Amino acid sequence: MSLRERTWYPILFMFIITLGLSAVIILFGSVTRQRVKENERLSYERAVLQALPIDLPVRPTPSRIHDIYLTNVQEANEYSAGALRYIKDDSLVAYALPLAGPGFWAPIKGVIGIAADRRTVTGIGFYEQNETPGLGGEIIKAPFRAQFQGKKIALQGVPLKILPVTAELDESSVHAITGATQTSNRLGQFMNEQLAVWRERLSNQP
Amino acid sequence: MTQTNKTKDVVLAALWGDNPVFRQILGICSALAVTNLVLNTMVMGAAVVFTTALSGLTVSLLRKWTPRVIRMMVEVLVIAFYVILFDQALKAYWPDMSRNLGPYVGLIITNCIIMGRAEAFANANPPVLSFVDGFFSGIGYALVLLCVAIVRELLGMGSLMGIPMPFFSSPSWDRWIIMVMPPGAFFTLAIIVWLARTVQVEKETKKGNKS
Repeated sequence: MSLRERTWYPILFMFIITLGLSAVIILFGSVTRQRVKENERLSYERAVLQALPIDLPVRPTPSRIHDIYLTNVQEANEYSAGALRYIKDDSLVAYALPLAGPGFWAPIKGVIGIAADRRTVTGIGFYEQNETPGLGGEIIKAPFRAQFQGKKIALQGVPLKILPVTAELDESSVHAITGATQTSNRLGQFMNEQLAVWRERLSNQP
Repeated sequence: MTQTNKTKDVVLAALWGDNPVFRQILGICSALAVTNLVLNTMVMGAAVVFTTALSGLTVSLLRKWTPRVIRMMVEVLVIAFYVILFDQALKAYWPDMSRNLGPYVGLIITNCIIMGRAEAFANANPPVLSFVDGFFSGIGYALVLLCVAIVRELLGMGSLMGIPMPFFSSPSWDRWIIMVMPPGAFFTLAIIVWLARTVQVEKETKKGNKS
């Protein structure tokens, strides 16, 4: 009886193939794991910097972004109510409040920057989203994000409204993305819940 | 039949005569999902070409030792292996694209084109020819996807590869939002399949009349 006709041959064959292919994948995975982690950290740091009033170079290298982040951004403390702090010349310039909530397809995670007056928005950035490219995915693009700069967080009611493109804007509202109603609504909802909580927590402090 | 002729036949069949998408209507789930931006589509196409070509080669190399009863398990394993490699490489070296394509790279494993080529071709043909067949089946798939993507991005967003196109990005062109959304893919793909089949049927009728 030849090897191929034995009943255990298919099992042995499958075992060897699986072992060989898995070994290659595990090896490749361990080679790239560090890079994947760095990519995640980089997109987080980039989002924080986009939210803050910091001028970034046109095409910053990953190490440049990391440097700028380390020199300017400090962790949250008891006075910032969970927001990261942008410190320049020993004084607080802005807060960077992390936001997270459900999007249309997958969770959206981002950061909104608010100036030291605790009202003026300095920018917004996203580091995790999986919305439809070209529709909800436009939240990460400059035209949508630029709207937030200079807006004021309302002292009462909804902090920062996202309104349909046909609506008139005031100092506390921005336009949604056409065709991405779900993304805009969901983003608006969790952003405002979290901004309201932050506003509440800060108002109890000096 | 000589070797070159056979290779040529395989290539032509993969690109046109038996084109996986509009002739066999295979693998259209991802064709619908990732075709609203040309750049995303190109990377998706590259992933499919990479997988069909190399899995064809590998399945063919293993065919003499693979027990028949477990051949499909082995095929899926080989296909999954290449897809995971591609996915890991994207995650590490092109994270933005990896995020754009989301789960669709992983879903290439279940793309029937690749399994179909492994089962119908690579199992019974020499390695090099299987590689060529896989490579061009992937290209045939990618080309159709690209046609769909060009129509969708141009009409839906007024741009190609993210670059605004004259007229389509001007205010006089009212963007067709539906083209960016999933239904746009159904319409576009159906029209492309219709056009391709019409041409093919005419060719075949002419051939039939001659003989």
